[in-house]
Amino acid sequence: MQGFGVHKVISAVANTLQSPNLPEMTPQDITKLIVRTSMKDRAAFDLLYRQTSAKLFGVCLRVLNDRGDAEEALQEVFVKIWTKADRFAVSDLSPISWLVAIARNHAIDRVRARRKPAADIDAALDVADPAPGPEAMVVAGDESERIHHCLDELEKDRAAAVRGAYLKGESYAELAERHGVPLNTMRTWLRRSLLKLRECLER
Amino acid sequence: MTLAEDTGPERGGDDLLAAEYVLGVLAADERQIASRRIDAETDFARLVDGWEVNFSPLAAAYPEIEPPASIKPAIDRRLFASTASVTTPAESRGGLWSSLAFWRGLAAAAVAALAIYVAVPILNPPVEQQQARLVASLAAEGSDVKYLAVYDAAHHEVGLSHVSGERAAGKDFELWMIEGKNPPVSMGVIPAGATAHIVVSPAAQQKLAQGAVLAVSLEPAGGSPTGQPTGPVVAAGDLKGI
Repeated sequence: MQGFGVHKVISAVANTLQSPNLPEMTPQDITKLIVRTSMKDRAAFDLLYRQTSAKLFGVCLRVLNDRGDAEEALQEVFVKIWTKADRFAVSDLSPISWLVAIARNHAIDRVRARRKPAADIDAALDVADPAPGPEAMVVAGDESERIHHCLDELEKDRAAAVRGAYLKGESYAELAERHGVPLNTMRTWLRRSLLKLRECLER
Repeated sequence: MTLAEDTGPERGGDDLLAAEYVLGVLAADERQIASRRIDAETDFARLVDGWEVNFSPLAAAYPEIEPPASIKPAIDRRLFASTASVTTPAESRGGLWSSLAFWRGLAAAAVAALAIYVAVPILNPPVEQQQARLVASLAAEGSDVKYLAVYDAAHHEVGLSHVSGERAAGKDFELWMIEGKNPPVSMGVIPAGATAHIVVSPAAQQKLAQGAVLAVSLEPAGGSPTGQPTGPVVAAGDLKGI
């Protein structure tokens, strides 16, 4: 990963002296917008919304699987981004990953707060997932990312469970139901996969 | 529930919990505990960040979907309604929070508490200051919600005993610390139940020890989305030494 940290703020502030509004936003541009947002610059916040709301809406929709809910969640996510933008400086994440993390975690908290849906409906809607979709295939082709390489070292169904959990924010309970195994078995499976991943990532 | 059995106690327990949090597989209550630890423990927050970094390439699979045009104005209304010229009279919803008299009262209570804190040690030098315990009875007019709060400085936690008053469906009670004229600082959502323990961050410990005011507000499930109270204060009180 690139060396993000406090210095990213310094370089972002230095960058603000250069001409704004490049047609294509680079990570440095997004960083600059987040930093300016933390200084309560509303113009920067507006631009940040224009540049990133489609991605974050995609995250909310995928996790919540309900348009109305996702629209509500997206509002809350940008309220959080406005109020917590200063915390970006102390995170190790790249700017887009930081924004996605806020959206994902918020959407997952929201989906967890929902009442548990009827088990049979949930299962009927969601059996077909383990095979990676075309998007996942494209992503999996990118050899530069360690995580893809390490996921490939897992058994296929375990890797699919990890990817599915990440993208949809499924709980242990939901995963257990879908795979037709007891909750504790699912926990054990997934934790073993995480330990293998960690071992591979650290290699 | 114990992670240590899978990984050995030395490493891994927290790291695995961080991975489970990032992956999103934890249940609602487990996520709440983890997210409180992210706020309170730098080491744990670093582990979580590490896994966010590890998994972040997977996020490339999220499609970009343009949200409806109505969203951004709605966000602006939420954030900047008070400065905009056209506002709906939503302020009445603020209740106690927007009552100036309430805040003046709280400020006076905080000053009184500080005076006690300063005066008491002079009159009675404490034998062991670290053993300090402070208590507050949390209540408010027009609300049936009551909590008894005990701040245990030695264990860095606030214990809460629920006396009366239920949260509305789909809502949570959130605990706030108010110190002087500073904006309220969230101490976390209060777990449902007769008693609850909330871990106090190092930054908040000193302020609590000086006799801050504790307040409980009614928030959307999971706590205030803004980092500041958004619902009415249903109970408040200042911490006093015993």
